[in-house]
Amino acid sequence: MDTLNHLMTGLAAAMSLQNLLFALIGCILGTLIGVLPGLGPAAGTAILIPLTFKLDPTGAIIMLSAIYYGAMYGGTITSVLINVPGEAASVVTCFDGYQMAKQGRGGTALGIAAIGSFIGGISATIALVVVAPPLARVALSFGPPEFFALMLVGLCLIIGLAGRSLLAGLTMAVLGLLIALVGIDPVRGAPRFTFGIPSLYDGVGFIPVVMGLFGVAEILLTVEKPYRQVIDTKIASLLPSREEWRRSLGAIGRGTGIGFFLGLIPGVGAIIPTFVAYVVEKRISKTPERFGQGAIEGVAAPETANNAYANAAMIPLLTLGIPSSPTIAVLMGAFIVNGLTPGPFLFQERPDLVWAVIASFFLGNILLLILNLPLVGLWARLLHLPYQYVCVGTLLFCIVGAYSLQQNMFDVGVMIVCGVIGYGMRKIDLPIAPFVLGLILGPFLEKSLRTSLEMSAGDFSIFATRPLCLGLLIVAGLVLLASALRLAPAEVREASND
Amino acid sequence: MRRGWLVACACLLGVFIAALVTSLGYSLSDALGPGPGFFPFWLSAIGAALTVGMFLEITRGRMQIDAGVTVLPDRSAALQAGSVLIALIAAAVAFEPLGFRLTMLPFIAGLLAVLGARSWTAIALCAVAGSFGVFHVFFYWLKVPLPIGVFGI
Repeated sequence: MDTLNHLMTGLAAAMSLQNLLFALIGCILGTLIGVLPGLGPAAGTAILIPLTFKLDPTGAIIMLSAIYYGAMYGGTITSVLINVPGEAASVVTCFDGYQMAKQGRGGTALGIAAIGSFIGGISATIALVVVAPPLARVALSFGPPEFFALMLVGLCLIIGLAGRSLLAGLTMAVLGLLIALVGIDPVRGAPRFTFGIPSLYDGVGFIPVVMGLFGVAEILLTVEKPYRQVIDTKIASLLPSREEWRRSLGAIGRGTGIGFFLGLIPGVGAIIPTFVAYVVEKRISKTPERFGQGAIEGVAAPETANNAYANAAMIPLLTLGIPSSPTIAVLMGAFIVNGLTPGPFLFQERPDLVWAVIASFFLGNILLLILNLPLVGLWARLLHLPYQYVCVGTLLFCIVGAYSLQQNMFDVGVMIVCGVIGYGMRKIDLPIAPFVLGLILGPFLEKSLRTSLEMSAGDFSIFATRPLCLGLLIVAGLVLLASALRLAPAEVREASND
Repeated sequence: MRRGWLVACACLLGVFIAALVTSLGYSLSDALGPGPGFFPFWLSAIGAALTVGMFLEITRGRMQIDAGVTVLPDRSAALQAGSVLIALIAAAVAFEPLGFRLTMLPFIAGLLAVLGARSWTAIALCAVAGSFGVFHVFFYWLKVPLPIGVFGI
């Protein structure tokens, strides 16, 4: 009953004209980011953070969340129409979506993707409302050792699923953690790795690093190999036929379940639920040979899973303060920029904000359905925009974004340097996700480790004597062991590297 | 690709060793428990060990690397990426002295031309909108302070 009251209060706040407008702007910008190939949701969300500087925190988080799940929706359009995923999670949609478009069924593919995304998003948000408050209450009983172990599990999952080498994933996570230490020591107040440079006393900003790694690096790669801009598909009917509905309904239901449950696990990136949903549909189908040839379930299941994941992934962030992916880490950065620390205390300290944001997910999903079904032709037309204008526009917003964080050229320099580093990392396929997660979790991980050791007067056995902490550490170890033994399917490991 | 990984290993090892040496200057522990140097020291040490492990993994052929894939771009692609980088650095240098509008106007126009945009009308419109228009939106509407240069623009 208490939850329902909170939700109703949140809904009233989210439905205020101002917040509704922020959600609408966020959905439009997010869809735009998703539609434009080369600009992923992590970079897109990061470069648009300055737009929210003068908003109140509730409006800012509502808008940035809408940008995030809007980008998840928008990525489908390019996957279906030009076989280029707008963001990594839409890779799987290319398999059957593009084939459907080539058969003149592009409109149906986009229609079922929008409907599936809507159902997946709304279902996951309902589940979020049910699951988040009790989980936050449980998390309140966690001490620093449990939080340390939990963050380690999240990091290990990202590392374990990252790319071609476990060692590479571990190394990048350690590098991220190390760079997060630059600045004033949060416990003792001593400067570390600052080399007498005043700008380094506040640490290396997370947002300029992400803008560089994802935004500038992506532009450098795009100008090397410009994407295609030719669309030779007509968007006719958006609604599926009766037979297509019959095939899709089960896929949408299963996609919702898969997306939601994988969204609850910290460290599982957006692409894994879509991949799992696709594989499940193919395995249970009586005609698996249709997959890859334009099977509508091959679009419905991953797109539903994608959006269910996007909404469910907010649960670990809001209740535990653990981001599930680089994009969620950017959202976490936005919370921090607005003076908020995601985690169980947020439900106690700012229930007005948390519930308004959760309620805005319902409204955002409805707005996205409206934006995506009737206006799909308009979005498709944006694909004619020459890549030069997209690249220059992105760089412009990167510069404005990095500078306006602290009105400081140092952050612009950090962004450019990280752009070059990110370009190199992408070239040789070094995993970026563990680095980003290490960077955002670094201060929290260090603080919880040191507070734990202060509690035990430096005795490390504190981590073994608390059952939950020990259990979580065992899980973290098992994840790394499974990765070392390469138990996860190769495709999942490769996919999660994106 | 293999050479790229080896270069990455060398860079990472350099960073971790430098961090390790620097962290020796911070106290590892104090009366309350672990000190400011505890986390940096162990992270640098672990990072250096992992990098050595990664190096061995590469040299012993245990890491799957697409040996045939060339990391370095061809001449025209390198010129395009290099132009973007030079433009970014130039914009960063001129940003505060010249101000946002006077920096972004040539940045946008020049970069669009270098990247192959051919319509001069579109280039001019984009440059004006991206410099004066964006400044107006951020500075006056969103109240985000952007630099005004020595010429007061």
